This record gives sequence, structure tokens and C-alpha cells, in this order.
Amino acid sequence: MKSSDLMWRALCVGTALAIIGLPGFVRAQAHGALRVCADPNYMPYSDRSGAGFENKIAKLVGRALGRPVQYYWTSSRGISEYGEFLHQTIEAGKCDLLVDVPYGMVQVDSTSPYYVSSYVFVFKKSAGYDLTSLDSPVLRHVKLGYETETPVEDGLKLRTLTIGAKPFETADDPDASPDRMLDAIETGEINVGLTWDPAVGYYLKSHPDLVAVAIPNSRSQGSPEQYSFPMAMATRSSDKALNAQVSGVISTHRAQIDAVLREYNIRFFTPGTDE
Amino acid sequence: MNRRLAAGMLAGSLAAAALVFFLLGHVRAGAQQEVALGELSQNSSLWVIPQQNYSALRHSALTEITTDNVKSLKIAWQMSTGATRGHEGQPLVIGDTLYYESAYPNHVYAVDLSDYHIRWEFTPKQDSFAVSVACCDLVNRGVAYGDGMIIANALDGTVYALSASSGSVVWRFKQADPELGQTVTSAPFVIQERNRVIVGVSGGEYGVRGYVTGLDLHTGRRVWRAYSMGPDSDTLTGGPAFHGPHNAGVSTWRGDQWKVGGGTTWGWYAYDPSLDLLYYGTGNPGTWNPSVRPGDNKWSMTIFARKPETGQAVWAFQMTPHDQWDYDGVNEMILADIKIHGQQVPALVHFDRNGFAFELNRQTGKPVLIEKYDPSVNWASGFNLATGRPIEDPRYNTHEGHNTTGICPASIGSKDQQPASFDPQTGYFIVPTNHWCEDYQPFAVKYKAGFPYVGAIVKMYRGPGDYGGALIAWDPDSGRIVWSDHEHFPAWSGVLTTDGGVAFYGTMDGWFKAVSTKDGSLLFKQKMPSGMIANPIAFQHGGHEYIAMLDGVGGWAGIGLAAGLTNPTAGLGAVGAASDLGKYTTLGGDLTIFSL
Repeated sequence: MKSSDLMWRALCVGTALAIIGLPGFVRAQAHGALRVCADPNYMPYSDRSGAGFENKIAKLVGRALGRPVQYYWTSSRGISEYGEFLHQTIEAGKCDLLVDVPYGMVQVDSTSPYYVSSYVFVFKKSAGYDLTSLDSPVLRHVKLGYETETPVEDGLKLRTLTIGAKPFETADDPDASPDRMLDAIETGEINVGLTWDPAVGYYLKSHPDLVAVAIPNSRSQGSPEQYSFPMAMATRSSDKALNAQVSGVISTHRAQIDAVLREYNIRFFTPGTDE
Repeated sequence: MNRRLAAGMLAGSLAAAALVFFLLGHVRAGAQQEVALGELSQNSSLWVIPQQNYSALRHSALTEITTDNVKSLKIAWQMSTGATRGHEGQPLVIGDTLYYESAYPNHVYAVDLSDYHIRWEFTPKQDSFAVSVACCDLVNRGVAYGDGMIIANALDGTVYALSASSGSVVWRFKQADPELGQTVTSAPFVIQERNRVIVGVSGGEYGVRGYVTGLDLHTGRRVWRAYSMGPDSDTLTGGPAFHGPHNAGVSTWRGDQWKVGGGTTWGWYAYDPSLDLLYYGTGNPGTWNPSVRPGDNKWSMTIFARKPETGQAVWAFQMTPHDQWDYDGVNEMILADIKIHGQQVPALVHFDRNGFAFELNRQTGKPVLIEKYDPSVNWASGFNLATGRPIEDPRYNTHEGHNTTGICPASIGSKDQQPASFDPQTGYFIVPTNHWCEDYQPFAVKYKAGFPYVGAIVKMYRGPGDYGGALIAWDPDSGRIVWSDHEHFPAWSGVLTTDGGVAFYGTMDGWFKAVSTKDGSLLFKQKMPSGMIANPIAFQHGGHEYIAMLDGVGGWAGIGLAAGLTNPTAGLGAVGAASDLGKYTTLGGDLTIFSL
């Protein structure tokens, strides 16, 4: 028996066990469950109840592929960071799909991008700040807050604006919500918050007094500074077939995907479409 | 007035006054047939194409202002543009009216040259979202003219055709969608003889796939769109008409990366009526980290030759395969019949961001001469003319996670979009250049539990000799620099040459200068309200020669960028934003007209 046959048999046994272990699995599925790794407590991305936009997108992809979604839950946050999350999840074979990663990330095999979004300035509408870039003079006269280890932190450092600014460490604390920055703006602890729009767009719906303005990609300091990112899903690099299938779903289910993103107030839709 | 009669009158080289009369009559009559734009551009009293003519020479045959009397140049009149962002354009002069567009919010003015009153003004209502996605300042590169209309691009991607006589909107077209990160900063390019308006797009870093659109000049209807990458059906590189590899816009990318492949089209266009070919360049490939996009990444960084009526590509020449330095290929294309190595060539001459001057046969796209126009260029030692590919120096390749130092030129290029001029008298190209080098560590795309991240480490600093830019004279025959005037900052304005033997340009620190085309000696300078990144033009009115120039510093090389210059080792975090350039100039926006 060739070793590939041996592997195939092992896979069949594994799949059968997985099917038996799935209480909700009724229809016979050629490929079994679509296994998704996600954070059980990180809204608006995902949570155990399925309330995050990653959950909704995963469901949509699963339905399109005719495969029920099965989750492997583990926190993506903490001092060990996202690399450890990848190591323990998709790289360890615990799942087939990650729903929200930057397009072009090297550790995984990203699909076609399905949305483009941007880092933003968030502030009170009533403040009326003239904020169009990190070089806007008003930034030197207000209290700033920013998410740490992000491109906005680098952009602020370039301009000596991190001094006296308040760091937020949402990605390091499994219990923190990106919403904290909005609260800090409401109380006046900070005047302008710099964060990733999809992290706060969902919460901004309940803060009608706040406004978010995109931070443009820039070269005003010489270096290319990138604040907008195409976002994609990701598969194991060995799973080219699934990668192609998911990219196919992204192109055929454009309207449904956009509807989910809109529901979560994620702006800047749809790269690479023709008009 | 019919077309035959118009042509006959022009062929008889009629007086300027009669031409003005003709034009006004035409505009009032409202456009059935008009004297061909290509012919009109040969009247040196006027300036009817942003690039001056289809060949983009930016050379005036006027001779009243000379090397001897230019020192007596005076400011004739001035006007505030009402905008303070970067002004990278130039006025047009048609009949007795001067037209121009400001930086964002893109005011368009028609000014009567007899008494300087504003005939009409138009400011588009814009999608303000465009402001938040526009990269590298809210610049504009000017209006175009055709069929009795002024064609103006707004930052938010709307193309407006305005009646030249009244400013009323004749048609509009949505070329770009700011919600997708697309904007438009370039000037429209009218090819009246083919009934086309050619419009490009900016915004390559937002997952935009670059494209060029060919519109019907009369109606604003979209006739064709050619993408910079994708299958032949998208790039219009199909069929036997195209001399190049097929579907290379897909096969030279990994997977579906071409769908967000960049290659935007925000530079200067040119047209050869006898070959009926449109020429332009495409920008950098997305994403910024070259390690994640193996392959040549065609057709980014490419000079395209297309048929303007259909968009069908005839040839394509990629200058920087698999770009690792952000050397956008959008700089101006200049069409001149010149001697190269002693042989007469119908040439396209292009001074690329990558530091090489490309002299191609514009009929075939085959390179005849490719040489460095700044000796400090080091990422490649030269080009193999047989293959058309660079001979790269691996020491200056960039790799994710590795800091490559001492790369010349920096990402801003040995020259950016600021257009050069061809001076037929000397046979030189007078070229405004940058002289910066950089350390470059490519960007690793990472994710941090909810936050996408690109680690960018790029430091730019003055190149060898400690100057920031230079105006150079380039001999296309030998491929050598003849003379060079050093500047403290990058020379980021365009150049005008005249048959008076004078070259005009402006500096970022606010000096408008006239130098001798023969040897570069300084003949005149005037301090202006703001630094200059725009392009001078010449025209004649009332029998006298005038030079017009916009000021209004900004753009990529604008205020903040200058900071790195004074203190190159300070690097991240140490340099206040506007420190160096701010010593010399401030933001502004003015039109200045000079005469003797």
C-alpha cells in the first residue's frame, strides 16, 4: 500500500469520526464540516453565540459550499499574540478556515480579498475637527488615543505624537472590547481615537454623536504608510482546493457578503469589482 | 464654417487675432466641426493641451523673451487660486481666455486675458470621502480642452465637460469611486481627432486594479476601459494586433493577486497622430511587500501603446519587472524624432522613477537606449537591450524582514511625475530630477487579533553630494547629462523651454527660475508666495509673450517629506513635520503671469 493510500484511509476514518461527533449533522456531506477557527469572545469579530461578523460570513461560506460550520474556539488575544493563535489552530490542523485576515499575510494562504477597510480617526461630531491626515495640525492640540502595535502607532511615532497619547491594548487583553476607545472619547478622556474601522463600526451605531474619518495612505514623511487593507479569508497552505472554492464563493456571493458587512457597519466595500 | 475651410485657413498660418475670432465664433456656434486640436496646438500663441501638444514637448516657439532680456521679467498680474493644496497642473490659453483648475476643491476658472476678469468659475460638488482616501496630498494636474469644452477631473473621480464659453456642465462621467479608494488627480487627455477623452485613476494602494477609460468626447459615454492587469479581455491585449505575451496580466501573478494588482494610471499621456497610438505608463504593483507577490506582475510599471478609438494595445514595455522599490512608471511620455547613437529614431523618451531614461522606438516599443540619468542610481547597473530587462544588483534587492540600505533612487524616484521639456534648438531634454536615496525594509503584512498591520521602515535622505534634486540637460543621442543645476530640494515642478533659449522651472522652496538651455546658467529668479510643483507655460497675447506658473506646494514631496532631509539619521520619531521646507515657504495657491 502506498503511503498516500494510507493517508487517505486515515483521513476517511478521521472524517467519519468527526461526522459521528457532530450532533447537528443530518445531511450526508461529501466533504464534512467546514472547520473554522475563531475567538469565542471578541465582538464584533466573533463570539461563541455566533453574533460576530466572522460567524455570519463563515455561515454564508458554509452554506454556499454545502458544508455545516464547525468551530474550534480559542482566544486570538493575549501576550502570546496572533502568531501563537495561528500555530495552535490552523497550522495545527484544528480548522480549515480563518475568516478575517489581511490579504497577502505570509503565514497562511489568503483567498481573494472580500472587503477593503481603513484605520480611522474617531471623534465627537460636535468637535468638528478638520482631520484629513496624520499631518493635520489639530492632532497637536488634542488628546489622542490609539491601538498599540498598529500602523497608526507607527504613524504617530513618526510625528512625535505618541507622547502623552493614551495607548489601548485591545489585541492583548482577551476581555477588552474595542468599544473602550469610544467610551474614552465620550467621557473626554481622549478627543480623537485612532483605530481600525471594522473594530468599532459596529459600536458606532450606538454612538450617533461620534464620527469616523478614514486615515489616508500617506507618504508625507517619505515612507509609504499604509492604513487601508484588503481583507481576505485564509486556508492552510496545503489546501489549495478549498482556497479556490472560497475565492469562488467570494465572487459569486458578493451581494450577500456586502449585506453582512453593512449589518456590522463595515465601510469601504469591494475591491476589484468593475463599476 | 466647415472643416475644410478651417483647415485651409490654418494652413495659411493666419494671424492670432483671426484665430481668436474663429474660435469664439465656433464656441458660440456650438460645435459641429472644429479645427483639429493637434493643428491648433501648433499655434504658439496658445496652449491648448496640458502637455502643450500631443507629443508632450512643453516647448514654446515664442522668442520675445530671450536669454538676454529675461533678467527684466516682471510680474504682469496674479490671482489667488482659492485653494492651498498641491498645485501640479498648468493653465490653458484658448483664444483670449485662460483656463485653469486649482488643487482640491478643484475650482475651475476662465479668466479674460484682456482685463483679467473672471468670465466664469466652476466648483464641483464632491464626495468628501475622496479627501480621506487620496494618497499623497489633494493635488490636481490641470484641465484639457476639446470640442468647445473644458474637461476637468475632480478628485472624487467625476469627469466634467464644461462649456468653454459659459462654464455650464455639458456632460459628466464617473471615472472612479472614492468608496473603493479610487480618486483622480491627473489631467484628462483629449484626442479630438479620434473623438476621445482619456482618463486615468489614482489609488493603487487600496486594492484598486488600475485602468484607463476612453470616453466619447461629445457625449461623455464610456467607449472602452483597459485594465493594467487581468486576462487579455480586461487588459485589451488580445488578438494579433498586440505584439507581446498573451494573458501575462494573469500568468505573471500568484493566484488571484492580479485582482488587486495596482498599476494605476495617474501620470501624463501622449499621442502620435501618424501612428494613431496613445502612450501612458502604469504604476506600482499592489501589495507593497514584494515578497508576497512573486512574478513579473505585468502590466504594472509598463509603458503602453494603445489605439485611442478602441483601447486595443499594440505594444507594452515593462520597465521594472517585479517592482521592489515603488518606482511607479507613470511619468510623462515625450514623443520626439531624434538621433540616438547617430541613428534617426521616431522615439518615445521617458525618464522613469527607477532612474533610467528609456528611449524606445515608439512604433515598435523596442528599446534603443536605456541609461541612468542620475549616476547615483544603483538598484540596477544597466539594462539588457536585447531582453529589455534590468541587470539588477542583488545587494539592493529588497526582502521582507531585511533592511536594505543605500538604495538609489529612493521611492520618490530620480524623478516623479513632474514633466520634462524637449528643446529642439539644443536637442536636449531639460529634466527636473530628485536626488534622494533610502534604506528600505519591506512590509510584512501581519495581523494582530483584529488589527491588520504593515511594518514599514523606509528612510530617505539626500543622495551623494548632499543635494536634493537637480535640473539637468540630457543629450538623448549619447545618453549623457550635459549640465546639471543642483537644488536643495527635489526639483518637483515641470519645465518649459522656449525658442528664446530659456528654460523655466520652479522650486519647492519658492523660487521661479529661468536658466539658459545651453549651459544651465541662472538668468532670472523670483521668489513666489508658495513653493512650486506645477508646470510653467508660455503664450502670446496682444503681441507679447507671457509666462504663466501656478504655485502651491504640496504633493508627495510636500511639507512633511522635507523633514527627513535635514536630519537623515534622525529616522523614526525624531523629526518634526515641516521643519526644513517650512523655513522657506508655506502652503498657498496662486497663478502668476510674467512678461517683459
